[in-house]
Amino acid sequence: MEDVIKVRADITHRYGELLVHDGMKLSVKENEFLCLCGPSGCGKTTLLDIFAGIVKPSDGHVLIDGEPADPKRHNISFVFQEASTLPWLSVRDNISTGLRIKKLPRAEIRRKVDDIIGVVGLRGFENYYPHQISGGMKQRVSIARAFATDADLVLMDEPFVSLDQPTREKMQREVLSIWEHRKRTIIFVTHNLEEAVFLGDRVIMLSKKPARIVANLSVDLPRPRDPMSEAFVALRARCAELLQEMHETDAREECKEQSESVRASS
Amino acid sequence: MSKATVANSSGARWTTYLRSRTLALNVLSLVAFLLVWHVAAVMVKSPFFPTPYKILQAFILLASQGDTMGNSLWAHCWASLYRVLVGFAMGVLFGVPLGLVMGLSPGLYSATRSIVEPFRFIPPIAWIPLAIIFFSGLPRFAFLIFIGAFFPVFTATLVGVARVEPIHRKVAAVYGASRLYVITHIVIPTVLPDITGGMRVALGAAWLTIVAAELSGGTSVGLGRMMVNYAELLQIPEIVVGMVLIGALGFAMNEVLLSFERRLFRWRWRVTI
Repeated sequence: MEDVIKVRADITHRYGELLVHDGMKLSVKENEFLCLCGPSGCGKTTLLDIFAGIVKPSDGHVLIDGEPADPKRHNISFVFQEASTLPWLSVRDNISTGLRIKKLPRAEIRRKVDDIIGVVGLRGFENYYPHQISGGMKQRVSIARAFATDADLVLMDEPFVSLDQPTREKMQREVLSIWEHRKRTIIFVTHNLEEAVFLGDRVIMLSKKPARIVANLSVDLPRPRDPMSEAFVALRARCAELLQEMHETDAREECKEQSESVRASS
Repeated sequence: MSKATVANSSGARWTTYLRSRTLALNVLSLVAFLLVWHVAAVMVKSPFFPTPYKILQAFILLASQGDTMGNSLWAHCWASLYRVLVGFAMGVLFGVPLGLVMGLSPGLYSATRSIVEPFRFIPPIAWIPLAIIFFSGLPRFAFLIFIGAFFPVFTATLVGVARVEPIHRKVAAVYGASRLYVITHIVIPTVLPDITGGMRVALGAAWLTIVAAELSGGTSVGLGRMMVNYAELLQIPEIVVGMVLIGALGFAMNEVLLSFERRLFRWRWRVTI
Protein backbone atom coordinates (compact mmCIF):
# COMPACT_ATOMS: atom_id res chain seq x y z
CA MET A 1 0.00 0.00 0.00
CA GLU A 2 1.21 3.44 -0.93
CA ASP A 3 1.81 5.67 2.07
CA VAL A 4 -0.24 8.85 1.94
CA ILE A 5 1.32 11.95 3.45
CA LYS A 6 -1.25 13.48 5.77
CA VAL A 7 0.66 16.36 7.31
CA ARG A 8 3.47 18.34 5.79
CA ALA A 9 5.13 21.10 7.77
CA ASP A 10 7.89 23.62 7.17
CA ILE A 11 8.06 25.87 10.16
CA THR A 12 10.14 28.84 11.18
CA HIS A 13 8.85 30.54 14.28
CA ARG A 14 10.06 33.47 16.32
CA TYR A 15 8.77 34.47 19.70
CA GLY A 16 9.72 38.13 19.78
CA GLU A 17 13.45 38.12 19.10
CA LEU A 18 13.83 34.49 20.07
CA LEU A 19 14.10 32.02 17.23
CA VAL A 20 12.14 28.98 18.42
CA HIS A 21 11.96 26.84 15.29
CA ASP A 22 14.35 27.27 12.41
CA GLY A 23 13.10 25.82 9.15
CA MET A 24 11.85 22.61 10.66
CA LYS A 25 10.66 20.27 7.92
CA LEU A 26 8.45 17.42 8.93
CA SER A 27 5.93 15.14 7.30
CA VAL A 28 3.61 12.59 8.83
CA LYS A 29 2.02 9.70 6.99
CA GLU A 30 -1.68 8.95 7.29
CA ASN A 31 -2.45 6.89 10.42
CA GLU A 32 1.12 7.15 11.56
CA PHE A 33 1.96 7.33 15.25
CA LEU A 34 4.77 9.86 15.43
CA CYS A 35 6.58 10.63 18.66
CA LEU A 36 8.40 13.92 19.11
CA CYS A 37 11.12 13.84 21.70
CA GLY A 38 13.21 16.71 22.88
CA PRO A 39 14.73 18.48 25.87
CA SER A 40 12.38 20.65 27.93
CA GLY A 41 12.12 24.16 26.62
CA CYS A 42 12.62 23.22 22.98
CA GLY A 43 9.27 24.72 22.08
CA LYS A 44 7.28 21.50 21.75
CA THR A 45 4.07 23.02 23.00
CA THR A 46 4.33 25.93 20.56
CA LEU A 47 5.03 23.43 17.82
CA LEU A 48 1.80 21.58 18.62
CA ASP A 49 -0.16 24.87 18.71
CA ILE A 50 1.20 25.56 15.23
CA PHE A 51 0.17 22.08 14.04
CA ALA A 52 -3.28 22.69 15.53
CA GLY A 53 -3.56 25.89 13.53
CA ILE A 54 -4.22 28.04 16.60
CA VAL A 55 -0.79 29.71 16.39
CA LYS A 56 0.45 30.94 13.04
CA PRO A 57 4.15 30.33 12.38
CA SER A 58 6.24 33.43 11.61
CA ASP A 59 7.23 31.78 8.39
CA GLY A 60 6.38 28.56 6.56
CA HIS A 61 3.26 26.47 6.77
CA VAL A 62 1.52 23.37 8.04
CA LEU A 63 -0.51 21.52 5.43
CA ILE A 64 -3.09 18.88 6.24
CA ASP A 65 -4.18 17.00 3.10
CA GLY A 66 -2.45 19.73 1.15
CA GLU A 67 -4.40 22.60 2.74
CA PRO A 68 -3.24 25.00 5.45
CA ALA A 69 -4.15 23.66 8.90
CA ASP A 70 -7.29 25.39 10.16
CA PRO A 71 -9.34 24.27 13.18
CA LYS A 72 -12.54 25.36 11.41
CA ARG A 73 -11.83 23.27 8.31
CA HIS A 74 -9.94 20.26 9.68
CA ASN A 75 -10.78 17.91 12.46
CA ILE A 76 -7.91 18.43 14.82
CA SER A 77 -7.88 17.01 18.33
CA PHE A 78 -5.66 17.91 21.21
CA VAL A 79 -4.91 16.03 24.40
CA PHE A 80 -3.31 18.49 26.79
CA GLN A 81 -0.70 17.93 29.42
CA GLU A 82 -2.83 19.44 32.19
CA ALA A 83 -6.37 18.50 33.13
CA SER A 84 -8.58 19.97 30.44
CA THR A 85 -11.97 18.48 31.22
CA LEU A 86 -14.64 21.15 31.62
CA PRO A 87 -15.77 20.88 35.26
CA TRP A 88 -19.36 21.97 34.63
CA LEU A 89 -20.01 19.21 32.10
CA SER A 90 -20.67 15.54 32.75
CA VAL A 91 -18.29 12.93 31.36
CA ARG A 92 -20.63 12.40 28.40
CA ASP A 93 -20.90 16.12 27.59
CA ASN A 94 -17.15 16.56 27.97
CA ILE A 95 -16.53 13.80 25.45
CA SER A 96 -19.02 15.24 22.98
CA THR A 97 -17.58 18.80 23.16
CA GLY A 98 -15.71 18.56 19.86
CA LEU A 99 -18.64 16.91 18.09
CA ARG A 100 -21.02 19.58 19.37
CA ILE A 101 -18.72 22.38 18.21
CA LYS A 102 -18.57 20.69 14.80
CA LYS A 103 -22.41 20.71 14.85
CA LEU A 104 -22.91 17.05 14.05
CA PRO A 105 -26.48 15.69 14.14
CA ARG A 106 -27.57 14.79 17.64
CA ALA A 107 -28.12 11.10 16.89
CA GLU A 108 -24.67 10.78 15.39
CA ILE A 109 -23.08 12.50 18.41
CA ARG A 110 -24.87 10.04 20.66
CA ARG A 111 -23.69 7.05 18.65
CA LYS A 112 -20.09 8.25 18.44
CA VAL A 113 -19.90 9.07 22.15
CA ASP A 114 -21.43 5.74 23.16
CA ASP A 115 -18.91 4.06 20.93
CA ILE A 116 -15.81 5.75 22.31
CA ILE A 117 -17.00 5.48 25.93
CA GLY A 118 -16.88 1.72 25.48
CA VAL A 119 -13.41 1.86 23.95
CA VAL A 120 -11.88 3.95 26.77
CA GLY A 121 -13.69 1.99 29.48
CA LEU A 122 -15.77 4.77 30.97
CA ARG A 123 -19.12 2.99 30.70
CA GLY A 124 -21.21 3.61 33.81
CA PHE A 125 -19.54 6.95 34.42
CA GLU A 126 -21.33 8.95 31.70
CA ASN A 127 -23.20 11.15 34.15
CA TYR A 128 -20.36 11.78 36.57
CA TYR A 129 -18.73 15.16 36.84
CA PRO A 130 -14.95 15.56 36.58
CA HIS A 131 -14.53 16.29 40.31
CA GLN A 132 -16.04 12.89 41.06
CA ILE A 133 -13.50 10.84 39.12
CA SER A 134 -9.75 10.24 39.42
CA GLY A 135 -6.97 12.03 37.53
CA GLY A 136 -6.37 9.00 35.31
CA MET A 137 -10.06 8.85 34.43
CA LYS A 138 -10.10 12.56 33.65
CA GLN A 139 -7.24 12.06 31.22
CA ARG A 140 -9.17 9.18 29.72
CA VAL A 141 -12.11 11.55 29.20
CA SER A 142 -9.75 13.95 27.37
CA ILE A 143 -8.48 11.10 25.20
CA ALA A 144 -12.04 9.98 24.46
CA ARG A 145 -12.90 13.57 23.49
CA ALA A 146 -9.95 13.61 21.12
CA PHE A 147 -10.81 10.27 19.49
CA ALA A 148 -14.59 10.84 19.33
CA THR A 149 -14.22 13.11 16.29
CA ASP A 150 -13.00 11.73 12.98
CA ALA A 151 -9.80 13.58 13.65
CA ASP A 152 -7.47 14.24 10.73
CA LEU A 153 -4.77 14.78 13.28
CA VAL A 154 -4.55 14.00 16.99
CA LEU A 155 -2.00 16.04 18.91
CA MET A 156 -0.92 14.77 22.30
CA ASP A 157 1.18 16.99 24.55
CA GLU A 158 2.83 14.84 27.22
CA PRO A 159 -0.59 13.58 28.23
CA PHE A 160 0.61 11.16 30.89
CA VAL A 161 3.27 13.23 32.59
CA SER A 162 1.13 13.92 35.67
CA LEU A 163 0.10 10.30 36.18
CA ASP A 164 1.83 7.80 38.42
CA GLN A 165 3.94 5.10 36.80
CA PRO A 166 1.46 2.17 36.82
CA THR A 167 -1.38 4.36 35.54
CA ARG A 168 0.93 5.80 32.96
CA GLU A 169 1.89 2.37 31.61
CA LYS A 170 -1.74 1.30 31.56
CA MET A 171 -2.73 4.45 29.68
CA GLN A 172 0.06 3.92 27.13
CA ARG A 173 -1.27 0.46 26.34
CA GLU A 174 -4.81 1.87 26.20
CA VAL A 175 -3.87 4.62 23.76
CA LEU A 176 -2.27 2.03 21.53
CA SER A 177 -5.36 -0.12 21.62
CA ILE A 178 -7.64 2.88 20.93
CA TRP A 179 -5.39 3.85 18.05
CA GLU A 180 -5.53 0.30 16.69
CA HIS A 181 -9.35 0.40 16.86
CA ARG A 182 -9.67 3.91 15.48
CA LYS A 183 -6.77 4.60 13.17
CA ARG A 184 -5.69 8.22 13.36
CA THR A 185 -2.65 10.28 12.53
CA ILE A 186 -1.01 11.07 15.85
CA ILE A 187 1.75 13.42 16.88
CA PHE A 188 2.68 12.55 20.42
CA VAL A 189 5.10 14.76 22.33
CA THR A 190 7.06 13.33 25.22
CA HIS A 191 10.44 13.76 26.83
CA ASN A 192 10.43 10.18 27.95
CA LEU A 193 12.50 8.07 25.51
CA GLU A 194 11.04 4.79 26.68
CA GLU A 195 7.52 6.10 26.12
CA ALA A 196 8.46 7.30 22.63
CA VAL A 197 10.00 3.98 21.58
CA PHE A 198 7.13 2.04 23.15
CA LEU A 199 4.42 3.97 21.32
CA GLY A 200 5.75 5.39 18.08
CA ASP A 201 6.01 4.13 14.53
CA ARG A 202 8.68 6.75 14.29
CA VAL A 203 10.62 8.84 16.80
CA ILE A 204 11.86 12.30 15.92
CA MET A 205 14.37 13.88 18.26
CA LEU A 206 14.57 17.64 18.56
CA SER A 207 17.42 19.84 19.75
CA LYS A 208 17.29 22.79 22.12
CA LYS A 209 16.15 26.20 20.81
CA PRO A 210 16.25 26.96 17.97
CA ALA A 211 14.80 23.50 17.63
CA ARG A 212 15.89 21.39 14.71
CA ILE A 213 15.51 17.70 13.97
CA VAL A 214 18.49 15.77 15.24
CA ALA A 215 17.34 12.27 14.44
CA ASN A 216 14.49 10.54 12.70
CA LEU A 217 14.26 6.88 13.66
CA SER A 218 11.74 4.32 12.48
CA VAL A 219 10.70 1.88 15.13
CA ASP A 220 10.25 -1.39 13.26
CA LEU A 221 9.31 -3.46 16.26
CA PRO A 222 6.11 -5.52 16.29
CA ARG A 223 3.45 -4.50 18.80
CA PRO A 224 2.84 -5.20 21.61
CA ARG A 225 6.40 -4.19 22.32
CA ASP A 226 8.35 -5.61 25.17
CA PRO A 227 10.48 -2.93 26.82
CA MET A 228 12.79 -5.71 28.06
CA SER A 229 13.46 -7.17 24.61
CA GLU A 230 16.93 -6.81 23.14
CA ALA A 231 15.80 -4.83 20.10
CA PHE A 232 13.80 -2.40 22.25
CA VAL A 233 16.67 -1.82 24.65
CA ALA A 234 19.09 -1.31 21.76
CA LEU A 235 16.86 1.28 20.12
CA ARG A 236 16.33 3.10 23.37
CA ALA A 237 20.06 3.12 23.98
CA ARG A 238 20.59 4.54 20.50
CA CYS A 239 18.15 7.39 21.30
CA ALA A 240 19.85 8.07 24.61
CA GLU A 241 23.20 8.13 22.82
CA LEU A 242 21.92 10.71 20.34
CA LEU A 243 20.62 12.81 23.18
CA GLN A 244 23.98 12.58 24.92
CA GLU A 245 25.83 13.60 21.75
CA MET A 246 23.51 16.55 21.38
CA HIS A 247 24.24 17.70 24.91
CA GLU A 248 27.97 17.38 24.34
CA THR A 249 27.87 19.39 21.12
CA ASP A 250 25.82 22.04 22.88
CA ALA A 251 28.27 22.16 25.75
CA ARG A 252 31.24 22.37 23.35
CA GLU A 253 29.61 25.19 21.43
CA GLU A 254 28.86 27.06 24.62
CA CYS A 255 32.54 26.70 25.66
CA LYS A 256 33.67 27.88 22.26
CA GLU A 257 31.41 30.89 22.38
CA GLN A 258 32.60 31.72 25.83
CA SER A 259 36.30 31.44 25.00
CA GLU A 260 35.71 33.56 21.91
CA SER A 261 34.04 36.25 23.92
CA VAL A 262 36.87 36.10 26.44
CA ARG A 263 39.38 36.50 23.61
CA ALA A 264 37.39 39.35 22.15
CA SER A 265 37.30 41.23 25.42
CA SER A 266 41.01 40.82 26.21
CA MET B 1 -24.19 1.48 36.36
CA SER B 2 -25.67 -0.32 39.37
CA LYS B 3 -22.55 0.37 41.39
CA ALA B 4 -22.86 4.06 40.64
CA THR B 5 -26.53 4.12 41.66
CA VAL B 6 -25.84 2.45 44.96
CA ALA B 7 -23.04 4.88 45.73
CA ASN B 8 -25.28 7.82 44.86
CA SER B 9 -28.15 6.67 47.06
CA SER B 10 -25.89 6.20 50.10
CA GLY B 11 -24.50 9.66 49.36
CA ALA B 12 -28.04 11.02 49.28
CA ARG B 13 -28.80 9.45 52.65
CA TRP B 14 -25.69 11.05 54.09
CA THR B 15 -26.72 14.44 52.66
CA THR B 16 -30.21 14.09 54.18
CA TYR B 17 -28.67 13.26 57.54
CA LEU B 18 -26.38 16.30 57.38
CA ARG B 19 -29.26 18.53 56.36
CA SER B 20 -31.55 17.47 59.22
CA ARG B 21 -28.66 17.79 61.68
CA THR B 22 -27.98 21.34 60.48
CA LEU B 23 -31.67 22.18 60.81
CA ALA B 24 -31.82 20.83 64.37
CA LEU B 25 -28.72 22.78 65.37
CA ASN B 26 -30.20 25.97 63.93
CA VAL B 27 -33.47 25.56 65.81
CA LEU B 28 -31.45 24.95 68.97
CA SER B 29 -29.32 28.08 68.57
CA LEU B 30 -32.37 30.20 67.74
CA VAL B 31 -34.11 29.01 70.93
CA ALA B 32 -30.97 29.74 72.94
CA PHE B 33 -30.75 33.23 71.44
CA LEU B 34 -34.37 34.04 72.33
CA LEU B 35 -33.82 32.67 75.82
CA VAL B 36 -30.79 34.89 76.44
CA TRP B 37 -32.71 37.87 75.06
CA HIS B 38 -35.67 37.14 77.32
CA VAL B 39 -33.56 36.74 80.45
CA ALA B 40 -31.64 39.94 79.70
CA ALA B 41 -34.86 41.90 79.10
CA VAL B 42 -36.45 40.63 82.31
CA MET B 43 -33.32 41.58 84.28
CA VAL B 44 -33.05 45.07 82.77
CA LYS B 45 -36.77 45.73 83.31
CA SER B 46 -36.91 48.76 81.02
CA PRO B 47 -39.73 49.77 78.64
CA PHE B 48 -36.94 50.41 76.10
CA PHE B 49 -35.83 46.77 76.18
CA PRO B 50 -38.83 44.59 75.30
CA THR B 51 -38.84 40.82 75.69
CA PRO B 52 -39.25 38.62 72.59
CA TYR B 53 -42.80 37.96 73.74
CA LYS B 54 -43.60 41.69 73.54
CA ILE B 55 -42.31 41.68 69.97
CA LEU B 56 -44.54 38.74 69.13
CA GLN B 57 -47.53 40.56 70.62
CA ALA B 58 -46.73 43.67 68.59
CA PHE B 59 -46.39 41.52 65.48
CA ILE B 60 -49.79 39.87 66.04
CA LEU B 61 -51.40 43.24 66.63
CA LEU B 62 -49.81 44.76 63.51
CA ALA B 63 -50.68 41.74 61.41
CA SER B 64 -54.31 41.66 62.52
CA GLN B 65 -55.15 45.36 62.80
CA GLY B 66 -52.60 47.25 60.74
CA ASP B 67 -50.64 50.29 61.93
CA THR B 68 -51.77 53.62 63.34
CA MET B 69 -52.11 55.08 59.85
CA GLY B 70 -54.39 52.26 58.71
CA ASN B 71 -51.84 50.46 56.54
CA SER B 72 -51.65 46.71 56.93
CA LEU B 73 -48.39 45.00 57.79
CA TRP B 74 -48.51 43.12 54.50
CA ALA B 75 -48.79 46.38 52.58
CA HIS B 76 -45.57 47.53 54.27
CA CYS B 77 -43.80 44.22 53.56
CA TRP B 78 -44.99 44.03 49.98
CA ALA B 79 -44.08 47.66 49.24
CA SER B 80 -40.50 47.11 50.39
CA LEU B 81 -40.19 43.68 48.81
CA TYR B 82 -41.53 44.93 45.47
CA ARG B 83 -39.09 47.86 45.41
CA VAL B 84 -36.21 45.56 46.27
CA LEU B 85 -37.17 43.06 43.55
CA VAL B 86 -37.48 45.72 40.84
CA GLY B 87 -34.21 47.48 41.72
CA PHE B 88 -32.37 44.19 42.23
CA ALA B 89 -33.57 42.82 38.89
CA MET B 90 -32.39 45.99 37.16
CA GLY B 91 -29.03 45.75 38.87
CA VAL B 92 -28.58 42.17 37.65
CA LEU B 93 -29.91 42.97 34.18
CA PHE B 94 -27.30 45.70 33.70
CA GLY B 95 -24.52 44.36 35.93
CA VAL B 96 -24.09 40.97 34.25
CA PRO B 97 -23.87 42.09 30.59
CA LEU B 98 -21.68 45.09 31.42
CA GLY B 99 -19.41 42.92 33.56
CA LEU B 100 -19.14 40.40 30.72
CA VAL B 101 -18.40 43.06 28.11
CA MET B 102 -15.75 44.76 30.24
CA GLY B 103 -14.28 41.43 31.33
CA LEU B 104 -14.02 40.23 27.74
CA SER B 105 -12.42 43.45 26.57
CA PRO B 106 -9.85 44.37 29.22
CA GLY B 107 -8.88 47.32 27.04
CA LEU B 108 -12.32 48.88 27.48
CA TYR B 109 -12.20 48.35 31.22
CA SER B 110 -8.75 49.83 31.70
CA ALA B 111 -9.64 52.77 29.44
CA THR B 112 -12.72 53.57 31.54
CA ARG B 113 -11.36 52.59 34.92
CA SER B 114 -11.16 56.17 36.16
CA ILE B 115 -14.91 56.50 35.64
CA VAL B 116 -16.07 53.05 36.69
CA GLU B 117 -14.06 52.64 39.86
CA PRO B 118 -14.93 55.96 41.61
CA PHE B 119 -18.62 55.28 40.96
CA ARG B 120 -18.24 52.07 42.87
CA PHE B 121 -17.32 54.02 45.99
CA ILE B 122 -20.29 56.38 45.94
CA PRO B 123 -22.67 54.54 48.28
CA PRO B 124 -26.33 54.33 47.25
CA ILE B 125 -27.21 56.47 50.26
CA ALA B 126 -25.17 59.31 48.75
CA TRP B 127 -27.51 59.18 45.76
CA ILE B 128 -30.61 59.81 47.88
CA PRO B 129 -30.53 63.63 47.54
CA LEU B 130 -30.35 63.43 43.75
CA ALA B 131 -32.98 60.69 43.66
CA ILE B 132 -35.32 62.87 45.74
CA ILE B 133 -34.93 65.71 43.24
CA PHE B 134 -35.28 63.65 40.06
CA PHE B 135 -37.65 60.80 40.90
CA SER B 136 -40.62 60.03 43.04
CA GLY B 137 -42.47 56.86 43.97
CA LEU B 138 -41.27 53.50 42.72
CA PRO B 139 -38.65 54.87 40.28
CA ARG B 140 -36.89 56.65 43.15
CA PHE B 141 -36.58 53.49 45.22
CA ALA B 142 -35.86 51.28 42.25
CA PHE B 143 -33.08 53.64 41.16
CA LEU B 144 -31.44 53.68 44.57
CA ILE B 145 -31.61 49.91 44.92
CA PHE B 146 -30.29 49.54 41.39
CA ILE B 147 -27.22 51.56 42.43
CA GLY B 148 -26.79 49.32 45.46
CA ALA B 149 -27.25 46.06 43.56
CA PHE B 150 -25.42 46.88 40.34
CA PHE B 151 -21.84 47.05 41.56
CA PRO B 152 -21.65 43.77 43.47
CA VAL B 153 -22.98 41.94 40.42
CA PHE B 154 -20.89 43.92 37.94
CA THR B 155 -17.65 43.49 39.90
CA ALA B 156 -18.20 39.78 40.53
CA THR B 157 -18.84 39.18 36.82
CA LEU B 158 -15.84 41.27 35.77
CA VAL B 159 -13.50 39.40 38.13
CA GLY B 160 -15.02 36.05 37.15
CA VAL B 161 -14.27 36.51 33.45
CA ALA B 162 -10.60 37.03 34.25
CA ARG B 163 -10.60 33.66 35.99
CA VAL B 164 -11.57 31.64 32.91
CA GLU B 165 -8.86 29.00 32.45
CA PRO B 166 -6.84 29.53 29.26
CA ILE B 167 -6.83 25.76 28.76
CA HIS B 168 -10.64 25.71 28.60
CA ARG B 169 -10.64 28.38 25.90
CA LYS B 170 -8.00 26.37 24.08
CA VAL B 171 -10.14 23.21 24.16
CA ALA B 172 -12.86 25.10 22.29
CA ALA B 173 -10.39 26.83 19.95
CA VAL B 174 -8.81 23.55 18.87
CA TYR B 175 -12.17 22.32 17.58
CA GLY B 176 -12.70 25.56 15.68
CA ALA B 177 -15.24 27.17 18.03
CA SER B 178 -16.40 30.69 17.23
CA ARG B 179 -15.91 33.56 19.67
CA LEU B 180 -19.62 33.48 20.48
CA TYR B 181 -19.41 29.76 21.27
CA VAL B 182 -16.49 30.39 23.61
CA ILE B 183 -18.51 33.08 25.41
CA THR B 184 -21.69 31.03 25.76
CA HIS B 185 -20.11 27.64 26.45
CA ILE B 186 -16.86 28.42 28.25
CA VAL B 187 -16.95 31.93 29.73
CA ILE B 188 -20.54 32.01 31.01
CA PRO B 189 -20.47 28.58 32.71
CA THR B 190 -17.21 29.60 34.43
CA VAL B 191 -18.58 32.96 35.56
CA LEU B 192 -22.08 31.83 36.65
CA PRO B 193 -21.04 30.90 40.20
CA ASP B 194 -19.39 34.32 40.56
CA ILE B 195 -22.54 35.98 39.25
CA THR B 196 -24.82 34.26 41.74
CA GLY B 197 -22.31 35.02 44.51
CA GLY B 198 -22.42 38.67 43.45
CA MET B 199 -26.20 38.50 43.42
CA ARG B 200 -26.26 37.40 47.03
CA VAL B 201 -24.00 40.30 48.02
CA ALA B 202 -26.23 42.60 45.95
CA LEU B 203 -29.28 41.38 47.83
CA GLY B 204 -27.75 42.57 51.10
CA ALA B 205 -26.95 45.91 49.51
CA ALA B 206 -30.50 46.17 48.16
CA TRP B 207 -32.09 45.76 51.59
CA LEU B 208 -29.61 48.17 53.12
CA THR B 209 -30.57 50.74 50.54
CA ILE B 210 -34.36 50.28 50.71
CA VAL B 211 -34.52 50.95 54.42
CA ALA B 212 -32.34 54.04 54.12
CA ALA B 213 -34.40 55.29 51.19
CA GLU B 214 -37.72 54.73 52.95
CA LEU B 215 -36.41 56.44 56.08
CA SER B 216 -35.71 59.49 53.96
CA GLY B 217 -39.41 59.83 53.23
CA GLY B 218 -41.50 60.26 50.13
CA THR B 219 -43.76 57.32 50.88
CA SER B 220 -46.37 56.23 53.37
CA VAL B 221 -45.75 52.48 53.09
CA GLY B 222 -42.70 50.28 53.37
CA LEU B 223 -41.02 48.62 56.34
CA GLY B 224 -38.53 51.48 56.74
CA ARG B 225 -41.39 53.99 56.75
CA MET B 226 -43.30 51.96 59.31
CA MET B 227 -40.28 51.87 61.60
CA VAL B 228 -39.84 55.66 61.44
CA ASN B 229 -43.51 56.17 62.26
CA TYR B 230 -43.22 54.03 65.37
CA ALA B 231 -39.92 55.64 66.32
CA GLU B 232 -41.72 58.96 66.49
CA LEU B 233 -44.19 57.31 68.88
CA LEU B 234 -41.31 55.72 70.85
CA GLN B 235 -42.94 52.28 70.40
CA ILE B 236 -39.98 50.01 70.38
CA PRO B 237 -41.64 46.57 69.85
CA GLU B 238 -43.11 47.68 66.52
CA ILE B 239 -39.71 48.96 65.37
CA VAL B 240 -38.16 45.61 66.21
CA VAL B 241 -40.96 43.83 64.30
CA GLY B 242 -39.86 45.83 61.24
CA MET B 243 -36.24 44.82 61.80
CA VAL B 244 -37.10 41.15 62.24
CA LEU B 245 -39.22 41.19 59.07
CA ILE B 246 -36.40 42.76 57.04
CA GLY B 247 -34.05 40.08 58.33
CA ALA B 248 -36.55 37.31 57.61
CA LEU B 249 -37.37 38.52 54.09
CA GLY B 250 -33.68 38.96 53.20
CA PHE B 251 -32.91 35.54 54.62
CA ALA B 252 -35.72 33.93 52.64
CA MET B 253 -34.58 35.55 49.38
CA ASN B 254 -31.02 34.46 50.06
CA GLU B 255 -32.18 30.87 50.64
CA VAL B 256 -34.04 30.93 47.34
CA LEU B 257 -30.86 32.06 45.56
CA LEU B 258 -28.83 29.42 47.39
CA SER B 259 -31.13 26.56 46.40
CA PHE B 260 -31.03 27.88 42.86
CA GLU B 261 -27.22 27.79 43.06
CA ARG B 262 -27.20 24.26 44.43
CA ARG B 263 -29.33 23.06 41.57
CA LEU B 264 -27.39 24.93 38.93
CA PHE B 265 -23.91 24.05 40.15
CA ARG B 266 -24.26 20.42 40.98
CA TRP B 267 -20.87 20.00 39.33
CA ARG B 268 -19.31 22.14 42.05
CA TRP B 269 -21.19 20.85 45.01
CA ARG B 270 -19.46 17.86 46.49
CA VAL B 271 -22.08 15.28 45.68
CA THR B 272 -19.64 12.66 46.84
CA ILE B 273 -19.78 9.21 45.32
